[in-house]
Amino acid sequence: MTDAVRVEELVVTYGPVAAVDRVSFQVREAEHLTLLGPSGCGKTTTLRAVAGLERPSGGRIAIGGASVFDGARRIDVPPEARGLSMVFQSYAIWPHMSVAENVAFPFRARGVANSVARPAVARALALVDLAAYADRSATMLSGGQQQRVALARAIAFGTRLVLFDEPLSNLDAQLRLQMREELADLRRRLGFAAIYVTHDQDEAFSLSDRIVLMRGGRIEQQGTPSDLHAAPRTRFAAAFLGVRNIIDADIAHGHATLANGLLLPVRDDGPPGPAAIAFRPGAVVLGRGTPATIERVLFAGDQLQLLLRAGPVDVIAYARPQSGLEEGTTIMWHVAAGDCRVLRE
Amino acid sequence: MKPRAETLLTGALLLLLGWLVMVPAASVLVSGADVTALRRLLSGTAILTNTLLMGAATSLSAVAIGAALALVMARTDLPGRGMLEPLTLLPLYVTPLLTAIAWSWLGSPRGGLVNLVTQRLAGFSLIDLHGAAGVVFVASLAYAPVPFLLIAAGLRAMDPSLEDSARVHGASLRFAFAHVTLPLMLPSALGALVLVFVQTMGLFSIPAVLGVPGGFTVIATEIYRLLNTYPPRLGQAAAWGLVLLAITLLAVLLQNRLLAKRSFVTITGKAFRPRLIAMGRARWLLAGFVWLYIGLAVALPVATLIWASLVNFLTIDPALMAFDLRHFAYVLFTYPKALMAARNSLLLGVVTASLIVALSLGAGWVVVRRRNLGATAVEYLAMAPLAIPSIVLALGVLWTYAGLDLLPIYGTVAILLVAYLAHFMPFGVRALSGALRQLHPELEDAARVSGAGLLHTLRRVVWPLTRPTLAAVWTLVFVLTLQEVSASILLYTSRSVVLSVAMFDLWEAGTLNGLAALGVMQLAITFAALSLLARFRQRGVAA
Ligand SMILES: Nc1ncnc2c1ncn2[C@@H]1O[C@H](COP(=O)(O)OP(=O)(O)OP(=O)(O)O)[C@@H](O)[C@H]1O
Ligand SMILES: [Mg+2]
Repeated sequence: MTDAVRVEELVVTYGPVAAVDRVSFQVREAEHLTLLGPSGCGKTTTLRAVAGLERPSGGRIAIGGASVFDGARRIDVPPEARGLSMVFQSYAIWPHMSVAENVAFPFRARGVANSVARPAVARALALVDLAAYADRSATMLSGGQQQRVALARAIAFGTRLVLFDEPLSNLDAQLRLQMREELADLRRRLGFAAIYVTHDQDEAFSLSDRIVLMRGGRIEQQGTPSDLHAAPRTRFAAAFLGVRNIIDADIAHGHATLANGLLLPVRDDGPPGPAAIAFRPGAVVLGRGTPATIERVLFAGDQLQLLLRAGPVDVIAYARPQSGLEEGTTIMWHVAAGDCRVLRE
Repeated sequence: MKPRAETLLTGALLLLLGWLVMVPAASVLVSGADVTALRRLLSGTAILTNTLLMGAATSLSAVAIGAALALVMARTDLPGRGMLEPLTLLPLYVTPLLTAIAWSWLGSPRGGLVNLVTQRLAGFSLIDLHGAAGVVFVASLAYAPVPFLLIAAGLRAMDPSLEDSARVHGASLRFAFAHVTLPLMLPSALGALVLVFVQTMGLFSIPAVLGVPGGFTVIATEIYRLLNTYPPRLGQAAAWGLVLLAITLLAVLLQNRLLAKRSFVTITGKAFRPRLIAMGRARWLLAGFVWLYIGLAVALPVATLIWASLVNFLTIDPALMAFDLRHFAYVLFTYPKALMAARNSLLLGVVTASLIVALSLGAGWVVVRRRNLGATAVEYLAMAPLAIPSIVLALGVLWTYAGLDLLPIYGTVAILLVAYLAHFMPFGVRALSGALRQLHPELEDAARVSGAGLLHTLRRVVWPLTRPTLAAVWTLVFVLTLQEVSASILLYTSRSVVLSVAMFDLWEAGTLNGLAALGVMQLAITFAALSLLARFRQRGVAA
C-alpha cells in the first residue's frame, strides 16, 4: 500500500535560516498524523510545503505515491494540482461568497458540473450541521460556524488528504473539546488521511494515530501517542509532554544518584555517567521511601499538587486530598524503577 | 443638571461643522435653483458632456493605473520596491497645476518642446495635448496615486490565506485572482473611483491650462469665466455649481448603495505578511511600467519646470540657451504679487493645518468614542465635503459672504480659510478616527477614573498618543493648502492673492519662466515640509 504522504529530507529556508531542517515522515492511508511543537518550530511551514504554498529548498514530497516536489529532479507541482484540502488557522472563509458558494468552490475551481457539485455540497454542510445556513453570507457567522464552513469546504470534494493548521485554536475551551470529538468522528467516517498542526499536547494525544514532535525546525521524536507518553527520549520531549520532574543525576549500575545524595533505582542498560531522570508527578508514591518537606500545596482539579523539597532537589507530586498534607510537614516518598526514565540527551 | 463636557463638545462641533459645510452647500442650492437658468445651461452646450467625459474617463483610467501600480507594488517581487513606492506618491505633491503647465510646454501642438524636436528631426508634430485627450492624460497621471494608496492599503489588509485557500482547493493562480483577489479589491477600487470622480468633476487647473486652448470647456472653467466677465454672472455660475453638486451627490449615493450590499470589508487591523508572487523575467517589465509612470507623472514635468526656471527662454536650440537665476530674481523682487502671495499662502497653510488638526482631533474622538446620534451627525457633516467639489464649496462661500456685513471676511484671506477648512476636514477626521480606533479606550478610561476631565484627557492622553498622525495630517494639509487652486481662484481678491493664484496669473500673462521659478520655489517649500515630517517620524520611532 502506498503512503498518503511521504516527506523526505525536507528543507525550507527563509534567507539564511532553515525554518524546516531535514524533516522526514510518512502518513499512511486514513491515518491522523500530528505535527506537535512549540511556537516557531516550523509546523506551519512544513504543512504549507506539503500543500505547495511554500517552496522548499530541498527534499522530496510525494502524495498518494506521486511525487509533487523533488528538489533534485526539479519537480514542483502547484497547490491546485496536489489534490488535497486544508483548514486554515484563520478559517480563510471568503467574505464575498455565501456559505454554499464557499463549500462549492473546490468543484467550481476544478470545473466540475453543478449537478455533481450541488448534492456533494449539501452532504458536506449536513455533516457539519450547517444545512440551514447554506445561503447565509459567510460574514454573518460566529467563529464556531466559520470553523464548520472551513471544515465542510475541506471535506466536500472528497480529497484523500486534508491538512489542518491549528484549526481549533481560535475557539473557546468548551467548543474546542466538542469540535475535537466531531473532527475525530468525521475523519473515522470519511476515512481521509490528515496532517494536523497544533501546539496543544492534549489535542495531539486525543486525536492522533501518530505524533511528530518538532523543535527548532527538526524532528525531536516521533511515534504513537502511547510511545511518546511512556518513553520521551530527550529532556525537551519530556518537558513538552508534561513530565514535570526532570532532575540531574549520576547514573551507575541501575541507580541514579541525585544532588542531595539520594539513590533512586532505575531500569537502564546505558553507560554510566551524568544524565537526568524524568518521572511524572503521578508516579510519585507517598508514605514510603526517603523524607522531604512539603513546601507548597495547591489544588489542581480534584487532586492536590505538592511541591516537595529534599535538600537542593525539588519534586512535584500529586496526591488525593487527605489529612497530614500540610505545608511544612515532612513526608516520605519514592518512585518505582519502572516509572523513572533516564534521559541522556 | 449641567451638561457633560462630551455633550458640549459634540454640540460645538455640530454648530461649527454645520456652519462650515452646510451654509455654503445650502447657498449653492438656493442661489442655483433657477429653473430657467438651469434649462438654458443644460440645452445646447457641450460643457456638461465635456465635464462628465473628463470625470468618467479620468477616474476610470486613474483607477486602472492606480490598481495596476498597487498590484505590482504590493503583490509582486518587483525589483526596487522600497524606493519606487514613495516615488509613486510624488504626483500628489507636484500639483496638477504644475504638471499640466509642464506638459503644455512639452506637448502643445505647435510650440511644444517634444513637437519642436520631432519637427526638426522628422518633420512632423508628435503629440497634441490641447483638448480632451490631453486633459484626461495629465489628470489621470496626477490622480493615480489616490487609487494607488487606497487599493494598496486594501490589498495589504487582505488575509493572504484567503488566496492560499483558493489555491489549495483547486484554483489556478489566474482563477484565484479572478474569483478571490479581484472581488475583494472591488470595494476599495470603487471607493477610489468615486473619490477621483468627485475631485475631477470640479477640477479647474488642468482643463484651464490644457482644455481651454483646445476649445474644451468644462463646468469649472465656465464658472471661472462667468465670474470674470463684466458684470460677473454669479447666478448662472451658481446654477452650474448646483448641476455639479447634483452629479457628485448622485455618484456618492450610488457608491453607498453598491457598497452596502458588499459589506464584507472587514478591517481587522491585523498586519499580514504580504505574499509576493515571483514574476520571473516579467518583473523587469513591471518595473519598466512603474518607472514609465514616475517618468511621465513626475520626472519629466519637474525636470521641464526646473529647466524652464533657469533657461533664458523656452527653446530647443542648445546654441541659444543660457542659464542663470534671473527668473528667480524677477519673481522675488520685481513681480509685485509673489511676496504677498507667499506670505498669504504660508499664513493660510499654517492656520488651516493647525485648525484642521484641532478640529479633527475633537471630531474624530466624538465619532469613534461617542457613537450616539450627535456623533453620527458630526461624522456626516465632517465627511460631506468629500461629495462636494471644492469649486462648488467656493461658490457657496462666495455667495454667502459677498456683501455680508455681519461677518465682513470677503476680500480677506479669512474667506479662503473658511473654504479650506471645509474642504480638508474629511481628510483630517478620517485620519484621526483611524488612529483613535487603534487606541484602546481603556487608556482614556484610566485617565478619567484618575480624576482627569475630558479636555485634560484629550490633551494629556489622546493628543500625545496620536501625535504621529496629527503631525502627518498637519504637514499634508499644509502642503495641500499651498497647492489649492479650484477654490482659491474664485475667492481671491487683489489683497488676498495666494501662491497658486499667482502662478495662474503668471500663466495667463505668459510669463512662463517666472512661473517656472515660482513653481520650483513652491516645490522646494513642499519638500522641505515633507522631509521635516519624515525626520519627526523617524525620531518618533526611535523614541
Ligand atoms: N515568510 C517567512 N519569512 C521569514 N521567516 C519566516 C516566514 N514564515 C515563517 N518564518 C520563520 O520560520 C520559523 C517557523 O515558522 P512556522 O510558522 O512554521 O512556525 P510554527 O511552528 O507554525 O509556529 P506557531 O505555533 O507559532 O504557528 C519561525 O522562526 C518563523 O519566524
Ligand atoms: Mg503555525
